[in-house]
Formats: sequence, structure tokens, C-alpha cells
Amino acid sequence: MGYSWDFQTVWEYRQVFVRGAIITAQLTFWATLIGTSLGLFLGLMRRSDNAALRYPAAIYIESFRSTPILVQLVWIYYSMPILTGLQMGNIMSCAIGLGLHCSAYVAEIFRAGVNSIEKGQWDAAHAIGMRYPKLMLRIILPQAIRRMIPPLINEFATLIKLTSLGSVLAVNELLHEAENLINNTYRPLEIYTAVAIAFAIMIYPFIYASQRLERHWKIRS
Amino acid sequence: MSDVVLKIRNLQKSFGEHQVLKGIDLEINKGEVLVIIGPSGSGKSTLLRCLNFLEEYDHGEVLFHGRLVGYRKTSHDRMIKDSAKAIADIRKRMGMVFQSFNLFPHMTVLENVIEGPVQVRGISRTDAARNAKILLDRVGLGSKVNEYPSKLSGGQQQRAGIARALAMSPEVMLFDEPTSALDPELVGEVLDVMKSLAAEGMTMIVVTHEMGFARDVADRVVVMDDGSIVEAGSPAEIFSNPAQARTAEFLRRVLH
Repeated sequence: MGYSWDFQTVWEYRQVFVRGAIITAQLTFWATLIGTSLGLFLGLMRRSDNAALRYPAAIYIESFRSTPILVQLVWIYYSMPILTGLQMGNIMSCAIGLGLHCSAYVAEIFRAGVNSIEKGQWDAAHAIGMRYPKLMLRIILPQAIRRMIPPLINEFATLIKLTSLGSVLAVNELLHEAENLINNTYRPLEIYTAVAIAFAIMIYPFIYASQRLERHWKIRS
Repeated sequence: MSDVVLKIRNLQKSFGEHQVLKGIDLEINKGEVLVIIGPSGSGKSTLLRCLNFLEEYDHGEVLFHGRLVGYRKTSHDRMIKDSAKAIADIRKRMGMVFQSFNLFPHMTVLENVIEGPVQVRGISRTDAARNAKILLDRVGLGSKVNEYPSKLSGGQQQRAGIARALAMSPEVMLFDEPTSALDPELVGEVLDVMKSLAAEGMTMIVVTHEMGFARDVADRVVVMDDGSIVEAGSPAEIFSNPAQARTAEFLRRVLH
């Protein structure tokens, strides 16, 4: 039985894909912003000598890492308005959910990056009388960030893919738009193929850049 | 005022079950070169690292110009850890040179040397750079100011490490096996810099395996074994006429 592919339909509805891709990009942007800033903060807290900072960070990070993101998203979507009293749009609550999820992983990347710096660097900075904020900003982070960038880009690529879960919350991102289109056109194979290609076009440049950057640093050091 | 720069009283330190310092008493006077020798694992480096509180000690006291290092005493004579600021204030008055150099790899030699003066002491970049160039000339690195550490030999890196410590105008210099990570042919250039420092009257505490340096440069040699001081005395006493059998045994092994 031959299946006759019809990509003409996909092309006719290309605007729908563009519209979805824009929402996907918006979700990614906000989630990245929340994820990295909160993640750096959590990573610092988790490395703290102070147990009152360390334990809450650890509990946060491990709960987000050990539960399914879909459950987290749905939970945040329904509980946020109850807990905060704020009525949020589904795009915003999805971005917040993705951002909170992502921050747990960013915190771990941050921690691993900082821990990878030789103890001698801390000793040398302490020995000249440096204190924590300057020691971090001037000695440890400039070295650690290089080691953090490849895994951070990886996490970013993962995040773009995770935005497709927004479809469950009726966020009109790429996948959700595509599913609506399937209901109208009955061309699931072509449309899912197009969705996959659209994601690949968005994600691959970052993976490529990460590989180039890693090679560049390997040569320099 | 007394001339005692550092006074160590009954210093004790354990890593878990293992006691690495078993009650050390020692005084270092201004202008003195004190060399600590002894077998690996005898606690020499740990002792040195307690002096600027890179290592926290469990019992006893380290006094720097009469001031307790790392702790402060409560009204009930209990010791609690001092504030980060107080600890940093003491550290910036001591210079330290490490076995593995520990230069900052993302900074040039000059940037390494001015980092402390500019960021910690608040000296202007121009003044700090001028002083750094004088110091780097002195350690023979005048032509390497703009190189990154990875481009330097081990001996050059260690001389840059010494310049970085000197840039803080320290009152005492702590050397933690400064030549142990160097190829044999590079040891001399680092020892020469240390000798000239000693000749200028710098107060120095040197942990080393270089017996020649201990004999020629030290005012006093301290022999450590198993977390305790076995004996201390002038190089002549220690090397020609050790009072303790453990010292004689150690010297026989290192001097063949």
C-alpha cells in the first residue's frame, strides 16, 4: 500500500509553523533567563558553608531532578494561581515551570564547574587576602565559566525541546500549532516531519557553536 | 615591642582520626630564616598552612605579632572562628609560595603580580604595575611581564609566584616546598631568588627538601617527624651534630 506524501499542505500553512516557532522561542527565552539566573544563585547556595542556605538549595535541586518535568509543568500551571493569587497566562506559567526546572540543572552545572577548579587557585587567592566575592568573580568564575559553557549550551538545547511540553498546557508553541493543523488537514506524517525539521533548524546551530567553542579552547590551552 | 613575628603554642591538628600536628611550639623572630625539614607526611606543610589559616587548626594558638590567627576568644575563653575580614587582614600581611606555583592561568604574569595590590590593598593600577615591574626584574622575569603562566618554565612560574607574594609587602614569607615540583636544573634559579631575599633580611619560613639551602641559608633548622618537632637548632648543630637519633636517621637517608 503506497502512501502518497503531500508536503504541499505543509507549505501552504507555513505561517502556522512560523507562529508556533515564535512562541517556542519566547518560551525558551524566558525559561533560559529564569533558569540561568536562579540556577547560578542556587549553585552558589549549594556550595555555601552555611547549612541554612545549602539544604534548601539541595532539596530544591534534587526534587526538580527527581520528578518528571511534565508533572512539574502541570502542577505549576494549576497551583501557581492558588499559591500566589496571581492569574497567569499559560505561556507565562509554562515559561516559569520550564525555568524552575532548568535552574536545577544549571545549578548542578555551575557547581561542577566551580568544583573543577584546582584547590591551589583558592589557596593562592586566599593567601593574598582575597575574600569570597572577589575570589569568585576574579579568580574562580573566569576559569570555571569556560568549563561550564559546553554543558550549559547542551542544557539550552534540551530546554528548546522541552518547550514542546507546553502543548499539554495549550500553549500555542510549535507542537501545539502543528497538532491543531493535523486536526484540520489530516496530514500527521508530513506535519510531524516538518515539526522535527523546524526544531532541528532551531537547535543545531547551538550544538555546532558549542562544538566549535570546545575545539577552539582545546587548541588554545 | 618584641621582635617575635609568629608564635606557635601547642598547635594540634587532625584529619579525621589521624593527628598530623601533635602539639607544636615555635617562635619566629623578625629577619629570621627558619627552615623546616623532615620526612614526607611529617606535618611540615600542614604546619605552614596553619600559619596563614589556609588550614584550620584544632587546638593551640598561632599568634601573629601577638594577634590570634583565625580565631577570636569569647569572654569565656572559648575560641570561635574569626570573621572572613579579620582572617583576610592577617593573610595579606603574609606572603605564601606554593609547591605547584598556583599562578592564576587566565592572567598574565604582570596581572598575577598586581592582582593582590590592586584588588586587596586598593593600590592604583599604575602604581601597582610600576612596583610589579621592579619585583619582576628582581626575580629575573623583566622580559616576561606580558606572558601567560602556561608559556613559562616551572622555574619562571615559581619566580613569578614569589614576585606575586612580595607585591603585598609581606612581613613574613611562607615557602611550601617551593622547588619540589621543579626539574632539577631549574631548582637553582628559585633558590637563588630566595637566598637574595634572605640576605635582604626578609623573615622567612621555608619547608623544603633542599638540605643545601637549609645548611647555607637557615638561621635555624627545625626537624619534624610524625607531627612533632624532633629538634631545632643552628644548621651547624643539626647537620654536624644532631642530638636526636631520628634526626641523624633522616639526614642519613636524604644525604645518602
